[in-house]
Amino acid sequence: MRYRNPELGEKLAAEYVLGTLRGRARARFEALMRYDPALRSRVTDWEAKLTPLARAGTDIAPPTRVWNALSQRIAGEARKPRWWQSLALWRGLAASGAAFALVLAIVIGVAPEAQPPMSMVAVMNDTQGQPAMTVSWPSMQAVREPYIRIKVTQQHPTMAPGTEWELWMLPPGKDNPVSLGLITTDVDQVMKLTPELASRIEGAWGIAMSIEPKGGSPSGTPTGPVVMKGPCVKLL
Amino acid sequence: MSEPLRDAQASRLAELLSQSALRNQSAFSELYSLTAPKLFGVALRILRRQDWAEEVLQECYMNIWNHAADYAVAKSAPLTWMTSIVRNRCLDWLRRPQQEATGDEYEIAVEAWQDENPGPVEQLMAAGDAAALGHCLEGLEARQRQSIMLAFFHGMSHSEVAGHMKQPLGTVKTWVRRGLERLKGCLEKGENP
Repeated sequence: MRYRNPELGEKLAAEYVLGTLRGRARARFEALMRYDPALRSRVTDWEAKLTPLARAGTDIAPPTRVWNALSQRIAGEARKPRWWQSLALWRGLAASGAAFALVLAIVIGVAPEAQPPMSMVAVMNDTQGQPAMTVSWPSMQAVREPYIRIKVTQQHPTMAPGTEWELWMLPPGKDNPVSLGLITTDVDQVMKLTPELASRIEGAWGIAMSIEPKGGSPSGTPTGPVVMKGPCVKLL
Repeated sequence: MSEPLRDAQASRLAELLSQSALRNQSAFSELYSLTAPKLFGVALRILRRQDWAEEVLQECYMNIWNHAADYAVAKSAPLTWMTSIVRNRCLDWLRRPQQEATGDEYEIAVEAWQDENPGPVEQLMAAGDAAALGHCLEGLEARQRQSIMLAFFHGMSHSEVAGHMKQPLGTVKTWVRRGLERLKGCLEKGENP
C-alpha cells in the first residue's frame, strides 16, 4: 500500500486510533509509524480527538490485588540494576584488551583519507566476550551530515527470520537506552543520524545491540536479548 | 470538570510521570490511584472479561513505570498518553485468536449502552473537557455514530460491528469512514472558528 499518500495516511491513522485497523495491517502500520514522524503526528492528533470518548464511561476501581502485584514487581525492579548499569560491561572489555587493540587498528586503518577521522569507537563484545561489532563516529562538529560507521566483525553473523538487529546508545546517567535504528549483518555499514541523535551520541558511554521483532522494538527500549555491547572510547 | 481543574490535574499527572521516570515509587503509587479506575473501565469495556482486564492493566502500568521517561516526548496530555497505551494493549490482546470473545459476551456488554439511552455521548457533553467531541458526535447520523461508538468504546472490529448491527461489512466500513471524516471536519471547525 502507498502509505506516502497523505489521504491514505490520514484514513489509516484514524482507523488505527479508532481500533478498526486490525491484525497484520495494524502491525504493519505500527512499524511504519515508528519511522514516519508525519504519520505519528497524525496518530497523536487522532488520539487527542477521540481519547476523551474512551474515558467517558464509568470509572471502575480495579481490585486491590492488581496494585499489590504491581508494587511487588516495581520494588523488585528497583533493586535489580539494569543491564546497562552493570559492571560486566566493563569487565568484558578488560578481558579482551588484545582483541580490542586489533579491532581498533581496523577502525582507524580503513577510514578513507577524505573523511574526517573517527573520534569515538565502541567495541562491542558478544555474550561470549568476543569482539563482534564496532561502532565508530567522527566528531559531529566536523561533519555536515552526522553518521556512524558500523562494522560487523563477528565470524558468522546470523539474523533469525522475523527478527531485526537494533542498535542502542546508552546515554549518560541512568537514562534509558536510545534507539539508533535497525542495522543489517553487513560487514561495513554507514548510518546517518538526526542532529538530535548526533548531539546525544557524543555523550554516550556505551553502545548495545538487541534482537527485536520485525520493525524494531515496539516499546522504544530494548525488549529482546542484548547480544552485543561495549563502552565508548575516545580516540582523538 | 472545569478547565482550570483539568489543567491542574494534567500537570499533576505529568509531574507524577516524570517522578516515576526517576524511579520514585510513591509518585507511581499516586499516579496509579489517580488513573487506575479510569483505565480499568477502558480495559474492561474493550475486553469484557475481568481477569483479562486485570492482567492487561497490570502489564500497562508496568510499561508506564518502565517507559515513563518516554512521556516527555509524547506531545499528548498525560491521560491521553496512558489511555492510548491501554487501548493499544487491549487491541493487541484481542488479536490473539484464542482470545476472541464469544458473541454472548458482546451482547451482555453492549446492553449496558444503547445508542438511544443516555450514555457516553451525553456524559461527554456534560463533561466539559470533551464537550466539542460530544457535540460533534451528536451531529453524526445515528448509524455512523453507533458504529464509531461500538468500535472505539467497546473495541469492536469492523466485522464485529457489522454482526452487532446486522448490516453488511462494506456498509459498516463506509459508515465508519464517513463518520470519522465528518467528525474530523466538525472538530477542526471548532478549533478554528
